[in-house]
Amino acid sequence: VKTDSNTPLTARPMPSWALSLVLFVVLTGAMAYLRLVVFGDHTVTLSYGWPLLICLWHRDRRLLWSLAAAFTAIIAYKSLILLGGGLSADDAMHVLNLLIVAVVAHAFIILFEKLEERRRALEQSNDELKASHEEIARQNEELQAQAEELAQQNEEIQHQSEEMQQQAEEITAQAEELQETNAQLLRRETWMHALLQALPTSVRPGEFADRLCEPLQTLFGESADAVAIIERVGDELAVLAHRGAVPLGRSRWPVDKSFAAVVMAEDRTAFVEDIDLRPDLTIPSTEGHRPRSVLATPLRLGGRPAGVIMVYSVRPRQWTADEFRIVEWASAQCSLAMESHQLREQLARTNKELDSLVSQRTAELQEIVQDLEHFSYTITHDLRAPLRAMHGFASMLDEDCRDQLSMESRDYILRITTAAARMDRLITDALSFSGAARKEFEMVPTDPGRLLRGMVESYPVFQPPAAHVHIAPDLPLVLGNEAALTQCFSNLLGNAVKFVEPGNTPRVTIRAERRGEMVRLWFEDNGIGIAPALQSRLFGMFQRLNKSYEGTGIGLALVKKVTARMGGTVGVESEAGRGSRFWLELKAG
Amino acid sequence: MSVAESASGEVAILYVEDEPDDVWFMRAAFERCGLSVSLCTVSDGQQAIAYLAGEPPFHDRTRHPLPVIVLLDLNLPLRSGFEVLRWIRAQPGLQKLTVIVFSSSGRTEDRRKAAELGASHYTEKPTSGVQFREVANDLKQRWLAADGAG
Repeated sequence: VKTDSNTPLTARPMPSWALSLVLFVVLTGAMAYLRLVVFGDHTVTLSYGWPLLICLWHRDRRLLWSLAAAFTAIIAYKSLILLGGGLSADDAMHVLNLLIVAVVAHAFIILFEKLEERRRALEQSNDELKASHEEIARQNEELQAQAEELAQQNEEIQHQSEEMQQQAEEITAQAEELQETNAQLLRRETWMHALLQALPTSVRPGEFADRLCEPLQTLFGESADAVAIIERVGDELAVLAHRGAVPLGRSRWPVDKSFAAVVMAEDRTAFVEDIDLRPDLTIPSTEGHRPRSVLATPLRLGGRPAGVIMVYSVRPRQWTADEFRIVEWASAQCSLAMESHQLREQLARTNKELDSLVSQRTAELQEIVQDLEHFSYTITHDLRAPLRAMHGFASMLDEDCRDQLSMESRDYILRITTAAARMDRLITDALSFSGAARKEFEMVPTDPGRLLRGMVESYPVFQPPAAHVHIAPDLPLVLGNEAALTQCFSNLLGNAVKFVEPGNTPRVTIRAERRGEMVRLWFEDNGIGIAPALQSRLFGMFQRLNKSYEGTGIGLALVKKVTARMGGTVGVESEAGRGSRFWLELKAG
Repeated sequence: MSVAESASGEVAILYVEDEPDDVWFMRAAFERCGLSVSLCTVSDGQQAIAYLAGEPPFHDRTRHPLPVIVLLDLNLPLRSGFEVLRWIRAQPGLQKLTVIVFSSSGRTEDRRKAAELGASHYTEKPTSGVQFREVANDLKQRWLAADGAG
């Protein structure tokens, strides 16, 4: 427990008032009784001072002096009133006695008080000391606990540190290995880099090999004085590329009796340790810097040895297994690079040929399209004119000679006019189909409701009593072409009112359904419906699924084509005898 | 517009058409509808221009009066209907001449081109020759009535 050092020392407790009063009354009473009643008529040499000593027990200076005053008053009262004489020497002695005792008692009380005060101070500081001692003991314990923890942690750290050291050693070992491998790879990579850089450029094959040669020599470092890439051309060997301090002297020499021929025939890597010891082999050389040793590996093109890569040294030497590996690897890379270079050249040539072919064909096609367009235009005029005449004359024959014609003849005339009208419709429908397939539409947000209402208003076949067409209000805008949409709507509406059981009034409902980015327009009718098995053929060209109804079989094919040209789709849900629900799905406008 | 009338005092309509049957049907339709106009016909674009320009053999305006309406087929020999239309609109005296394109082509681009070149109207040829009567009726009510013919 901590002591608050700011609190002042507690004041000495005041002696009890009540006890002082009781002592005063009892002592004064007892003294008065003894002096005035028991020894009232004579003077007894009783010490007045002794009762004052009670104040050494009950240390009240007010009581001390009150008693002293009271006893003095009793002395005075007895001497002056009871004995009736003046103040005697005894009285003076008594008073003096009283005073001395009182003074001594007073001095003692003060001394006691001081001692008491000191004791208190000491006690208090003692308490404080005790408290702080306890605090220190507690802190000490805590410190001890912390020290133990630290010791434990220290141990752990030491352990980890040892582990890390071990790992670091392992990593160092691995790093050293990697560095070694890296150095090897780096040399190969430099060469591959040069190889790849040489690839994309369009150069002659000789120049290409030349580019491969220099990095190849670098790959061998100081162990090679020259390298050459040699190709077999017929019965001769031709130097495609050559690099290094050893000149070959010639650029072509016969295959026969050459070292290259041996290497190609055996199809494996080989070397000649000292050329001077093999006079049977032709190895081109010039005076001065003559090669003394050569390492050669076949260079394959298209899977067969088509040349050699030669590595020369000016000193006779043995070639190591490592050098074998390097030259074989380099040869494989060279083969790949040269083949890919050849393919690239070939591809470029073919591309160029194809390009000109494509533009030629495009021009031809454009001509054909123009011819076709002209052809269909001519058909419109030249085919329709005789039909118009046929229909016209037959109709006039029926009108003008009605009375002279038999029923049979009039039936023939009717058949002529029907056939002519049908032929005309076929022509116009086929023309609008080919037109729709070719035409570029300008696409704008269009209100299908406005187009449909306009259509219903203009054609009595879509109005009561012929038919009941209900168009849902507020059809959303679609992205389309007005003319193309009109073509689609008129075909769908026309079909809806056409294909009904005789005697039924067609009822058509047109409504819209939002499907994300698209709007689907539904055309629901109460017509004869379409059996599911036939639905797949419904949108085909010249498909007439029910021959009891007039038609060319082009209408829905046209709807499909035109809708597709507007980036939309078309479909149907139906069952035979239960009406059809055609839908047209277009981008929302 | 100064309109030369024929000897009989009737206004003239020039029908440019290379199909004799169509000309026949048009004449029959005019008769049937009781149109009191003289129907002049030429069978190619070249002749149409010559007629309108009053060049020989059409220089005699009493026999070949300047028409109040030109019915113009598009697919014509020598010069197409569009060429004739372009020529007409290039003539200062013929700016306001009523030219009705009368073609069997229903192509939107033909309609648009005709409108661009200044055609007064575009009528698609009917499927049947007898339906030329409707065209004749339309001419009578819509185009001749406005001109106060007769």
